[in-house]
Amino acid sequence: MTLTQEVLRHQVADRIRAARPDLGGGEISLPGMRAEVAAPTESGTAVVCVLRRLDLPTFIAGTCAFAAALPAERVADWRRAFTRTIFLAGNPGNLRDRFSFHHADPGGTIAWTAPATLREHAPLRRLLRLFDGGGALPPAVAVRVPGPDVRPSAHPAGHDLYLASTGVTVGESLVHLGHLLAEAVFDGLIAGGDRLAVWPVPCLVGLTGPYEALRVGADPHDPDRLRAYAALVRSGS
Amino acid sequence: MTAVLTPTVLLAPVTVTPTKPLGPSHLKGLLWTDVMFRATRVRTGAAYRYSPTTYHTCEQTSGFWEYLDRTVGDTDYSGCSEEEIGELYVAYRAEARRAPFAACLPYVEAVERHGWVHPASARVLELWAGHYRALGMHDPGLTADQPPGLDLDAAVDRLSAVDMCLDLREHGGPVYLDATRYGLALRRIVAEDGRPNYLACALRELVALAGEHDEVVLLYDAGLEADYLLLHRVLDRLGTTVRRVALGRVPIDGRITSARHGDWRGHTVGAILATLGQDHDQAALRLGLRLYFIAVLGQGAGDEFRWDVLRRSVRRAERLLAHGTEPGAEPDPTPLAEVLDRHRGDHGYVDPYRLAAGLLVRHGPGPSPELLAEVFT
Repeated sequence: MTLTQEVLRHQVADRIRAARPDLGGGEISLPGMRAEVAAPTESGTAVVCVLRRLDLPTFIAGTCAFAAALPAERVADWRRAFTRTIFLAGNPGNLRDRFSFHHADPGGTIAWTAPATLREHAPLRRLLRLFDGGGALPPAVAVRVPGPDVRPSAHPAGHDLYLASTGVTVGESLVHLGHLLAEAVFDGLIAGGDRLAVWPVPCLVGLTGPYEALRVGADPHDPDRLRAYAALVRSGS
Repeated sequence: MTAVLTPTVLLAPVTVTPTKPLGPSHLKGLLWTDVMFRATRVRTGAAYRYSPTTYHTCEQTSGFWEYLDRTVGDTDYSGCSEEEIGELYVAYRAEARRAPFAACLPYVEAVERHGWVHPASARVLELWAGHYRALGMHDPGLTADQPPGLDLDAAVDRLSAVDMCLDLREHGGPVYLDATRYGLALRRIVAEDGRPNYLACALRELVALAGEHDEVVLLYDAGLEADYLLLHRVLDRLGTTVRRVALGRVPIDGRITSARHGDWRGHTVGAILATLGQDHDQAALRLGLRLYFIAVLGQGAGDEFRWDVLRRSVRRAERLLAHGTEPGAEPDPTPLAEVLDRHRGDHGYVDPYRLAAGLLVRHGPGPSPELLAEVFT
């Protein structure tokens, strides 16, 4: 199995059906897909992730820990909003007195709010700016997913996480990584004690499956095409 | 025995970039600062920081220089008037495209490395120094090389150390000033391409200087209130006592406009000096302009520029210089220090408005010759 437009379309349709079972199981067109995941109104749900700087292992471990610790009813609400997350530049330490965060990394560089409506996040969003930059992600990192080992076997699962780097800003990489990791935790694909190796590559073209998870988005070069931005693959598979 | 240290006050007015003629709003700020400085230094240690060098690196100036060399090329600016250079500045501001920071970098580096100044701005500064002399204003070093005390990285490091800065340059992002702990929004001070704005320039200067003074007075155009509130918070966090004095611009024909649109036309400092200089001597002009721009116009922006009111102020100045408030009135015998201390309140600096407004009181003793000489002429 390799990445084709057909595989990508199936993946997007599957994601929409999983998040929005109320839409039924019929065929979903590409414009329909776009409309479903389009920017929501102020009543839409989102998480705000505040980053002082991007340390990739901290971000990956923190995202997994945040997702794993969310109560089930909040998970359902957030999944219906396609795990929408707004990444903002800010120093969590400067914000703690005014805003409450659901999770923060021990070093205090990244913090996540609980899912809430965009309207409820407005005061925090007014204060901060989008986290973004045209720089490159670090070459490759390995991360142990935080939390007690939950795998029944003595051998924790290993995953390779491939991340497309060409034409992708740091902020966009966070979006792709955030969605893929949170949803993989909710789906039980990633659990405490697992090992994740992150591989930034120019493009995911030619990557062979099976894929545990794919992050797919619009291809900026062609509105009729999709592009794979991240893929989770079981190590050794 | 412990030595008693004289408290020192640092006056740090917003710096006008030497790219256009000085207009009434600039003159108001400069005269307020001049009177504040000259009155305050009678009572305590006072420093007046005004460094064009510090701001040459920001886009307004280095971008203008790049524009001049790209569009005008090699030319002799030494005979140019402020107005002629100002018209080029208006054209620069009207240009649809903006040169990338990389094109401005050679200018920024020349300023940083050896205090280089483009001849167009050198000419403007030379003309301004002449205005300062005519106005009897203290020249804080218009044509001197006065680099800021910190380079950009050092300033960012100092601010980051007290959690007042968010530096995303390692990710190809901008640098923000972070006063979110006070409920103020992040303010970008260095763009993604590395271009610093005027706040970054101000911080390089003020963060270095603030610790050397007991009180820092920030004088600025009221339109910059949000940025100066940020500066206040930063310096406060670094342990400095800060006073903010916001000055309203002087409306012309009922409108407050900007130098980038050529708002000076017909009202430059040069034109004001030349026009009034035909009918009045230098001392009356100096005092009259101070009375008008400080006491008559006041701190706000309520009254527009009016030649007739300005002329009346200069005539009033002539009478004050000739015989105090009324013919036959005696000069104020109160020691100068005591007069000035009445206008210091709980701060170190002397309030220019209260001091100047005191000269307009119609009854009672006139101002002492010492006060007029030390502060107003």
